Amino acid sequence: MLAYVIRRVLTAIPTILLLIVACFFLMHYAPGGPFTSERTLPPQVLANIEARYGLDQPLWKQLWDYLYNIVVHFDFGPSFKFKDRDVNDIIAQGFPISLTYGSLSFLVATVVGIGLGIAAAIRHNSWIDYFAVGLGIAAQALPNFIMGPILILTFTLWLGWLPGGGWNGGQWPYLIMPVIALATSYMGSIARITRSSMLEVLNSNFIRTARAKGLPTRTVIWRHAMKPTLLPVVSYLGPVFVYVLTGSVFVDIYFSTGGLGQAYVGSALSRDYAVLLGVTILYGVLTVLVNLLTDLAYAWFDPKIRY
Amino acid sequence: MLGKSQKAAHLAEEITDYTAVQGRSLWQDARMRFVRNKAAMASVFILLLIVLFTIIGPYFAVWSNEEIDWNVMGDVRGMGMPSMETGHYFGVDDLGRDLYSRVIQATTTSLLVGLIGAATALIVGTCYGITAGYFGGRTDGAMMRFVDILLAIPTTLIIILLLVVAGRSFFTLFIALGAVGWLTMSRIVRGQTLALKNREFIEAARAAGVSEFTIMYRHILPNLLGVVIVYASLLVPEMILTESFISFLGLGISEPYTSLGRLIAEGAGTMGYGTLWQLMFPLTFYVAIIITMFFIGDGLRDALDPKDR
Repeated sequence: MLAYVIRRVLTAIPTILLLIVACFFLMHYAPGGPFTSERTLPPQVLANIEARYGLDQPLWKQLWDYLYNIVVHFDFGPSFKFKDRDVNDIIAQGFPISLTYGSLSFLVATVVGIGLGIAAAIRHNSWIDYFAVGLGIAAQALPNFIMGPILILTFTLWLGWLPGGGWNGGQWPYLIMPVIALATSYMGSIARITRSSMLEVLNSNFIRTARAKGLPTRTVIWRHAMKPTLLPVVSYLGPVFVYVLTGSVFVDIYFSTGGLGQAYVGSALSRDYAVLLGVTILYGVLTVLVNLLTDLAYAWFDPKIRY
Repeated sequence: MLGKSQKAAHLAEEITDYTAVQGRSLWQDARMRFVRNKAAMASVFILLLIVLFTIIGPYFAVWSNEEIDWNVMGDVRGMGMPSMETGHYFGVDDLGRDLYSRVIQATTTSLLVGLIGAATALIVGTCYGITAGYFGGRTDGAMMRFVDILLAIPTTLIIILLLVVAGRSFFTLFIALGAVGWLTMSRIVRGQTLALKNREFIEAARAAGVSEFTIMYRHILPNLLGVVIVYASLLVPEMILTESFISFLGLGISEPYTSLGRLIAEGAGTMGYGTLWQLMFPLTFYVAIIITMFFIGDGLRDALDPKDR
């Protein structure tokens, strides 16, 4: 187990480094530098600006500095568009917001999804089962960017219950719609996975044995069926995290929360490569770490897996 | 005498009829299972209607998708409503462009994106996966480690990055979508190839002196087809979803071309002004396409891979 952990961590490091290097080269070979504009700058001015951002150095030196600053100082350098801000400021401002509703919707989707899936499997072919299956299908056709408009249409424009956007320090009326919009889609997926997994477990031999020796249903489900049921769900949590990350880009834009997604799309539209790269790398590193954690959790959860 | 021989012939016919039971191939079996699946067949029907609509629809259009109807532009909410008289069957968008033509154009784009993206992923992923799985050993290790690294990166963000760096066009979009879609496909194909390559019929082919390439192409590929088709059919709606997501953010295809994600975004932006049809028409088409695609994919999986239910 320990050897597996070490091996897994060791493969995560080159992945992250490769990600940074690949992104760096993408940025470097992108047509049109960040300072290209309709008005061509005098060469001296351009040279000064490039020196300010270190763009006059040889390529390997630039790459080394970029890597070194990220790894040692966790510093993504200055923004090309906003003269007085660097990428770290932008991340520090937006990331906590995205993190708040992101983790909330992660929690809601996982808890409600698993609960619904288990309820559906226990009461197989009842109304709650059909509801869970229906939600699982609907969830695939109602991703966050469809749920957002539908929610605003219902709760803001028709009923007038909730504010249509903004953040306001994260008060709960401002949180509800982003969380629901983000959570619904993969809540359905989690419910579906849990349901089919639970059904399979409930039909297996060891559950029949547990029932046969007279255990109450509650004990059978909590003590025996739970752990194997949750195995596929645990392995699905990595992809779910990625959905939350990319979905948060939409939520930030659509609900104007001021989160990191707004900075991301803004930088993509204005070709502010420093911010674009910084956020991509941050999200990439987070994804690698979460995948690492789910792999380890999976290994810990499943006694059959030996590495 | 004559009657007797006739009777014998009849009898013989009957016997041969019953003894030579018509065998059913894997594919015939799969087709029967698929046809019996009501949800999947209904989905195929609806999807065909949508495709037919994108083909025939333009002949009924009064306005093109770029033209601005200056008469209704000032009063989109009143005069721009869906109506048969003005020729704007689906109404107009916020700028006074005909939504009917734009929805047709967007649906075509979304369907094409799904098909071409999935086809790219299918071809690249299958070739890569077969090569890795068949040669095995160190080649396999290196190739699959590369896939693992790429899989660890949030794909949508990579597509956005590619679109920004290489410029926004149809071509880049297809390339970018294909570039991330093949990863899982190659993993699945590799796993199947690993299981297949040690089977007796491959050994027989090798003993008969068949070349490596021919073994991969003639003996392994046909046996992979079922799994590959199932996964590709599930990939199509995923591609459409991703493209719509990116277009929703305004980072996808640029004007005058549009896609369903972009139309939904525009409709969602103006839904507060009483022009709800701008959201509802693209949304209906979008949801219909995605749901039918998923049902077809599910039906194909049940038909081609009956043990995985």
